[in-house]
Amino acid sequence: MLYTELTSSAQKEALERFKAKGFPTNKWEEWKYASLKSWNEREVEWTPTALNEASEASLQTQNGNTTFSGILPAGVEFLPFDQFLATNPAMATKWEQRFPILDQNSLYDLNAALVANTHVLWVKAGVSVDDAISHDFILSVKKASAIQSRLIVFLEADASLTLIERAYTLPGSEEVLSNFVQEIYVSEKANLTYVKEQDLAQNTTHIDHTFITQLSDSQVDLFTFSLNAAYLRNNLHFYSDGERVMSNLNGLYVPGEDQLMDSHTVVDHRKPNSESHELYKGVLMGNATGVFNGKIFVRPDAQKTNAFQSCKNVLASTRATMNTKPQLEIWADDVKCSHGTTTGQLNEDALFYLRSRGISLANARTLLLLAFVQEVIDRVTHEETKLRLTDKIISKIQTSLAI
Amino acid sequence: MMLSIKNLHASIGEKEILKGINLEVKAGEVHAIMGPNGSGKSTLASVLAGRADYEVTSGTVEFQGKDLLDLAPEERAAEGLFLAFQYPIEIPGVSTTNFMKSAVNEIRKYRGEEPLDAVQFLKMFKEKMSYVNIDQSLLSRALNEGFSGGEKKRNEIFQMAVLEPKLAILDETDSGLDIDALRIVAEGVNKLKSPDNATIVVTHYQRLLDYIIPDFVHVLYKGKIVKSGGKELALELEERGYDWIISALGE
Repeated sequence: MLYTELTSSAQKEALERFKAKGFPTNKWEEWKYASLKSWNEREVEWTPTALNEASEASLQTQNGNTTFSGILPAGVEFLPFDQFLATNPAMATKWEQRFPILDQNSLYDLNAALVANTHVLWVKAGVSVDDAISHDFILSVKKASAIQSRLIVFLEADASLTLIERAYTLPGSEEVLSNFVQEIYVSEKANLTYVKEQDLAQNTTHIDHTFITQLSDSQVDLFTFSLNAAYLRNNLHFYSDGERVMSNLNGLYVPGEDQLMDSHTVVDHRKPNSESHELYKGVLMGNATGVFNGKIFVRPDAQKTNAFQSCKNVLASTRATMNTKPQLEIWADDVKCSHGTTTGQLNEDALFYLRSRGISLANARTLLLLAFVQEVIDRVTHEETKLRLTDKIISKIQTSLAI
Repeated sequence: MMLSIKNLHASIGEKEILKGINLEVKAGEVHAIMGPNGSGKSTLASVLAGRADYEVTSGTVEFQGKDLLDLAPEERAAEGLFLAFQYPIEIPGVSTTNFMKSAVNEIRKYRGEEPLDAVQFLKMFKEKMSYVNIDQSLLSRALNEGFSGGEKKRNEIFQMAVLEPKLAILDETDSGLDIDALRIVAEGVNKLKSPDNATIVVTHYQRLLDYIIPDFVHVLYKGKIVKSGGKELALELEERGYDWIISALGE
């Protein structure tokens, strides 16, 4: 491996940790179905070239370089993260106490070692950002590359923000391994809505780590729409570190031929009286592989926790597979927790009913699959995003079923 | 001849249900198929509509000159066949108006006709809704989810009114209906009757036939039509049950 020259000792240490473990293989329990073993031997570019793609989004990450263009809304700042920590010692202290769960995650170290650009989007106390901030995450390389990206989002108390992320690969790009770490801090009474649209090229391997710490009375509504990529792995962690915290995790994945989509979620209830609701749905087409692994921790202090998890899947092809694994670790005794996973085929009686009215088999299947996924899409309140996602999902399902 | 069934045999798994059905239906006619439970009435309806659970082992079915058994269910619908289901399924997330728009335009495409636009749909749906006294709000809801028995059956007849089939097969449409709902459903069917189309009413009881008057009544028993007659046969069955026919068969 060739790496760029590392500047800080922290980076050097992170690299040593990564080197000791390497890319995850299928022998790692958490990566059983989503091995990245082949990347251990791959010759790739570790310092990707700069990209200057035109984009309407105000927040942009192009080949790992995150910038903010245009005018920042009042009460919002965008600056290098080390500068933010240096000038806000109180927040630096909080930051150090968030304790993310990092076992079996060598890619976090890889990111820490090699990432060139770490900025923070900082929403100040009491600031409610009216318009959604769009974030375009763009990949495009001329030689096979590994790209490290990182973004910090810091919401102070009573702040409110909607983020719309669109991750995509430009046409004509060579193979990319994209390793994207996001750490999000949601202070007391703050409110975050975050929609992720992952629509990447077939030669893209994308690993998204989104770690969210929530303090008392905060609410986060997170959506992950996984549309395309050869390999998509979402490590989504919620650290519920206050009382009366509300965490909503919504996921929809529609992998088709030669695509793998793996959702690993962790909801860690650390304090009492909080709630989490997890709704994941998948439509698996062609020879797709899907993975859902949902961990819920209820720590001894987290009495009166309500934690719910549901994962429903439709195998729209006989060649597709889905692996589900709910894991609940409950250390408190006065809690309400439930989980349920189902994986099945489309209802034959429903298909026959629609066909008996003159609807072709292909359209009847599309109609039923859309009805199935609609529940997740309908929860998106940002109207423009909802319409765009609906169109994309219809077209993805129609294309995949036609193969 | 609109429909011509010859020596139709059909099985589900290893079990033969239809054991040689012969039936001819002309345009303008109403046929009633009656018979005790388990005689194969619903199987006949399902086989004609093309349900894949049944395997046709021998025989032929010709519908308006075409080999019906060779057609996919959606092609049968496009050719003008309609089945009103005994147990209409609930489909969460799919509304009647939504899927009926797709259905109508797919059928129009099959027939080489221009698709209808939103305004034309609205007008047409409104007219057809009046046939069975059904409400727009019901049609906008997820199909049959939380519908009463009467609402489900009225929805079936509404769909029939929209699709204007050449041949409608009503499978136990009277089951689960109170007398008012039965009358509404029957009136809907009668309004749709014309010299160009035909109806097959599959029923266990005579009472539906008080409202939809059949030209012919057939008794199905153990997978065969064992007796045919006019509308008076239905009244006789109501009075005497099926036993006298069965014993006349020497069983």
